Amino acid sequence: MVTVGAVRTLGKRERADKQEEASSPVGNISSSADLKPGDRVVYPKQGVYRVTGLEQKDIAGQRLEFVRMSREEDGASVLVPLGKVATIGLRRVATASDIEGVFHYLGATYGDPELDWKVRHRDNVERLIAGGVLGVAEVVKGLHSLSRLRPLPAKERELYDSSRHLLVNEISVALGVPDVIAEDYVDFALMPPAGVKLPLKTPPIPVELKGPPWKRKKPVVAEDDDLGLAELGIDLSALEGAAEGAAGSEESEEGEGAEGAAPASEEGGEEGEALPAKVVEKVAVVKATVVKAPAPRKAPPPPPKKPAAKAAPVKKPAPKPAPKNAPKKKGMPAKKPAASTPAPPKKGSKPAKGKKK
Amino acid sequence: MIRIVTLATYDEGDITHLSKTLYRSFGVGTEHVGERALPKKAERSDGRFDAIKLLGDASPVRAYSDDKVLYITDKELAIPKGPLGEPPTWGYAEQGGDRALISTFRFKPRGVTEASIEVFRRRLARESIHFIGHLWDLHHCYDARCAMHPSWSPSLPDDPEFELDAFCRDKSERRVRLAKT
Repeated sequence: MVTVGAVRTLGKRERADKQEEASSPVGNISSSADLKPGDRVVYPKQGVYRVTGLEQKDIAGQRLEFVRMSREEDGASVLVPLGKVATIGLRRVATASDIEGVFHYLGATYGDPELDWKVRHRDNVERLIAGGVLGVAEVVKGLHSLSRLRPLPAKERELYDSSRHLLVNEISVALGVPDVIAEDYVDFALMPPAGVKLPLKTPPIPVELKGPPWKRKKPVVAEDDDLGLAELGIDLSALEGAAEGAAGSEESEEGEGAEGAAPASEEGGEEGEALPAKVVEKVAVVKATVVKAPAPRKAPPPPPKKPAAKAAPVKKPAPKPAPKNAPKKKGMPAKKPAASTPAPPKKGSKPAKGKKK
Repeated sequence: MIRIVTLATYDEGDITHLSKTLYRSFGVGTEHVGERALPKKAERSDGRFDAIKLLGDASPVRAYSDDKVLYITDKELAIPKGPLGEPPTWGYAEQGGDRALISTFRFKPRGVTEASIEVFRRRLARESIHFIGHLWDLHHCYDARCAMHPSWSPSLPDDPEFELDAFCRDKSERRVRLAKT
């Protein structure tokens, strides 16, 4: 069975690049020149591989050079383009001293586990990719600690099992013992028998991830709310008008953005107190994200922002009488060119029926 | 198929109970091949037996591909010392392989009462399922009610359950299905 690394990793290129920049565990392979046939390397989230050699292949009319690696566990082969070696997070198999540090880390007391599953999952995946062997141990220990509080959900149970598999595999390779015994060592450190005191030393410090979780949340929020922006309207001035006068009757039932808006609603909570509809929260979030994350496509809209903001106090009195005429009229002409205009009336009609009933 | 090989003399009733339990747990036929001699070369200077060497030296049994062989001994086993010490050893298995070994040395004495015999059989079944589970590529489980929970864990009750939890059962069933030739 042959898997071409280039094909599998193309979609994750940017993520891998960022993660490599974010951290640099010991033993990371930064260049294909560091690889020789016979070397043992760890492919993140895959396991221990042995480099078997270099190959050239013609793909789409181009002659490319690959490193062929074979997984020790089951013999599966992977071809990694030479140019990708530095970005996929390949690293050397941990040394015995590294492994000793892992056991001291596993045996040490653990703080409170992260309770937000989104943050936890993202951190765990990042640790598995960019955290080195200690990152894998961190995932195992974190999920193990969490499992003492409550049973793990199915996905995390899978993650726990796979990360344990990776850790055991690497330890067995590094220490030269069979897998089952390596796993015994791991569990001996995690849950020592009654009456046994482990000779623990100061554990090593894991590689730090890219900033605190709340900072890593923002881009995701921005991505989610981009959809909301396209759906809501084009101009920020229109959004302001909608925030005060629209009363959210059209889109109040939309639940699509519930997940994405959940963290954002905390930010927008101050404004949300006074404004009743979810639309208002969305608008507030959209404002924040547009200002914080200037995307190249959004570059044209900012110029109208400033005049809109300046004109806002002038326009504010105007929306006040607007509710009498219903906000739809104001919204409709502004959304005429937008393709999403037909959607809101449909949704708005449903609650109307409900109200009548 | 699971083939049981005893390296000491055990009561036939215990082995029959074990065979039935293994069949129920994995859905794979189980039979007792018989008793074989204990490889003395695996004995260490401290009187314990090296688990890895014992399993390697144990007399082979005729088996087909995908068959699993379980050896049962009453000797104390030892494994190489780890960075934090040597974990108590109840058995040994080749992860994803086809041979496993368990020791009844650490079990409570079998005794002669029905209750003590029952406890002995349950523990025998539990350790057998645990190490055969390793042969199906299962890892240790954090759930103390699962047979894949480490045998020395402080959270394990005196008379532990000998069933797999849902996750381990599903995984083992998948492996069994894939392994069937």
